[in-house]
Amino acid sequence: MTLSIAFVGMTHLGICSAVAAAEHGANVVCVHFDEDRIRELRSGRLPISEPRLDELFTANRERMQFSSDATVLAQCDLVYIAPDVPTDSEGRSDVRLVESLLEQVDAAVPGETPVVILSQVSPGFSRSHPRRNGQLFYQVETLIFGRAMERALYPERFIVGCIDPDDGKPSALPAPLREFLEGFGCPILCMRYESAELAKISINVCLAASLSAANTLAELCEGVGAEWSEIVPALRLDRRIGGYAYIEAGLGIAGGNIERDLASVIRLSRQAGTSARVIESFVENSHYRRDWALRTLHARSGGRRFARIAVLGIAYKPDTASTKNSPALELARALTPFEISTYDPLVPASALEHARVRPATSALDACSDADALVIMTPWQEFRELKPVDLAQRLRGRLVIDPFGVLDRNLCREAGLDHQLLGSPRATSASRTIDHDVHRGTDRSRAEDHA
Amino acid sequence: MEHLNSTAENPLRTVVLGASGFVGKSLSSRLGAAGAPVLPLSSKEIDLCKASAGEELRLRLRDGDALVFVSAIAPCKTPASLIQNLAMARAVCVAAAEVELAQVVYISSDAVYRDGVNPVSESSRADSDSLHGVMHRAREVMLSTTVRAPLAVLRPSLLYGAADPHNGYGPNRFRRQAARGEKIVLFGEGEEQRDHVLVDDVAEVIYRVLARRSLGTLNIATGRSPSFREVAQIVAALDPSSGPIEATPRKLPIVHRHFDITEMLKTFPDFRYTSIEDGLVKSRADSSDR
Repeated sequence: MTLSIAFVGMTHLGICSAVAAAEHGANVVCVHFDEDRIRELRSGRLPISEPRLDELFTANRERMQFSSDATVLAQCDLVYIAPDVPTDSEGRSDVRLVESLLEQVDAAVPGETPVVILSQVSPGFSRSHPRRNGQLFYQVETLIFGRAMERALYPERFIVGCIDPDDGKPSALPAPLREFLEGFGCPILCMRYESAELAKISINVCLAASLSAANTLAELCEGVGAEWSEIVPALRLDRRIGGYAYIEAGLGIAGGNIERDLASVIRLSRQAGTSARVIESFVENSHYRRDWALRTLHARSGGRRFARIAVLGIAYKPDTASTKNSPALELARALTPFEISTYDPLVPASALEHARVRPATSALDACSDADALVIMTPWQEFRELKPVDLAQRLRGRLVIDPFGVLDRNLCREAGLDHQLLGSPRATSASRTIDHDVHRGTDRSRAEDHA
Repeated sequence: MEHLNSTAENPLRTVVLGASGFVGKSLSSRLGAAGAPVLPLSSKEIDLCKASAGEELRLRLRDGDALVFVSAIAPCKTPASLIQNLAMARAVCVAAAEVELAQVVYISSDAVYRDGVNPVSESSRADSDSLHGVMHRAREVMLSTTVRAPLAVLRPSLLYGAADPHNGYGPNRFRRQAARGEKIVLFGEGEEQRDHVLVDDVAEVIYRVLARRSLGTLNIATGRSPSFREVAQIVAALDPSSGPIEATPRKLPIVHRHFDITEMLKTFPDFRYTSIEDGLVKSRADSSDR
């Protein structure tokens, strides 16, 4: 019999998870207690953008129903609570919506129906919100903006927190949940609520550790004449580090989710009386690296005054419209006396807090008569730009390209002063290192695990 | 740092405490060039160490004044001078509490940061273990806890310029040694890297802080830290009469200081520091001991 699974909370996480469940053959009930959102979804309009999402949504439309009425939950085999959890500027989560949905769901479904919290909550949350029969579970999600469908369809493993995990095997799970998860063909790890809640945070902290080390060493490369892009492949071949490690240099950590987990660890450590100094250093390093483009822009200006600066990319990374903690926003705030000409494939220029922004119609248009170019998001579209075309449009020669989306040799031939993260400061314009090794990889900011 | 004035405008009047000093003179000159009214005060007018100094200062202040506190007994190397410096700050606190000032600007020092912290930024912990650093930090705290007006705390790195009355190790001493045809003597090989700021740039930053009525903490440093040997080589190249550069046996471990000047770039994006090369040319041109 086909499972009937409900997802409550139709924001980024809920929508992507619901579509993935439908793609895996379940009948999916999408619930959101706001009729406008439900009407939007029924009409096929999705409020978020993710690669493959539109296609999969359309393909599975027949297996998905939409409702703003909690009574539909009573007939479901399994209910996921999956709204996005907002965070404030300090990285603190606001879980009031999760609590409210949990109450409404609990009132609407029979006591034996398993309810799974998919939204991220802090250690202790699940145990402090008990359900009858212990039928409350916390499932770790590792959504990545821009890769959400890939992650939802092909997870590496499932981590499930239970009130009492017994021996940690999937047999501890109720049949509908076990059946659904086993359909993905990946390991299922059952553990105590608190362990699962902290496991989610631990994943992001480990990613932050790798990123912080990479960013620290990339900056050192700039100072001692080394080339971080030459070092990265060597590290990836070390099994202890690994081929998928987060060791590309970037402009700190953005997107909001890793920052949230770092803030959580700092807060929890203070409460528990444990040391989180190293985590505080990650945060500090992230803020410091975020401003790399600004420092480089001024340092390479040669004392010249800027009139117009072209900024390509506003999103915090490619393939998303999210600008949460995007370094482009911070850069724009620091360029108040100068005009900014900007273009992003998804984000409107109005996202920049700046009094003198000229929205451009294309990347090349943004470069017209600019004294310097800064490429803040490594969109694929920008990788296809020809440096010779840029040189013709730009008034100045300075190109700040943290992620190396442009070919360095072609930039040099076009007479551009091309500045790249992790490259020697003094000689970067004259070096001829082949960066093909990067081009197939994502030199974007930290891919953000929600 | 935050600007209370959206555009630059001269303060109604700026009272400069320590106006006869190296920075005070330069600032008074900058304010004068901008047509900004200045009341320069030095120890001749008010001895801030005296018990009555607070009241004396209060009588000279008017509502709406901006007050720049740049006077200090420096370097502060003894407990006695620490107490004197704190007494000076007490006098300023007493006076500032009685007047509706538009702004208070305290010229502190990068000595508030412990040696070996790199790169130093405004968020670095100000936990110096030197008396001089502790003195400045204590004054900062005294002002921040008692002054009601917007407070700007500026922490300059090492200063140089033609009129520097001190002859400490660095650009000023090197320039004078070169002018006299003497050897330029380095400690060790002159490996230590330091950020040297031309006094004119310090005056310019203070002026901008006054004109924008800024509040918060800002380091004044160029973001470039050449070694003392590099500075000596620039000086020697500028002065044909210079003797050779001479190393001496090292007595102390090497400690570098670099600055992260991101906050300055954000606070005054269109400000450019004078390079050490240009600054030394200017210092030499302005100097009477060429």
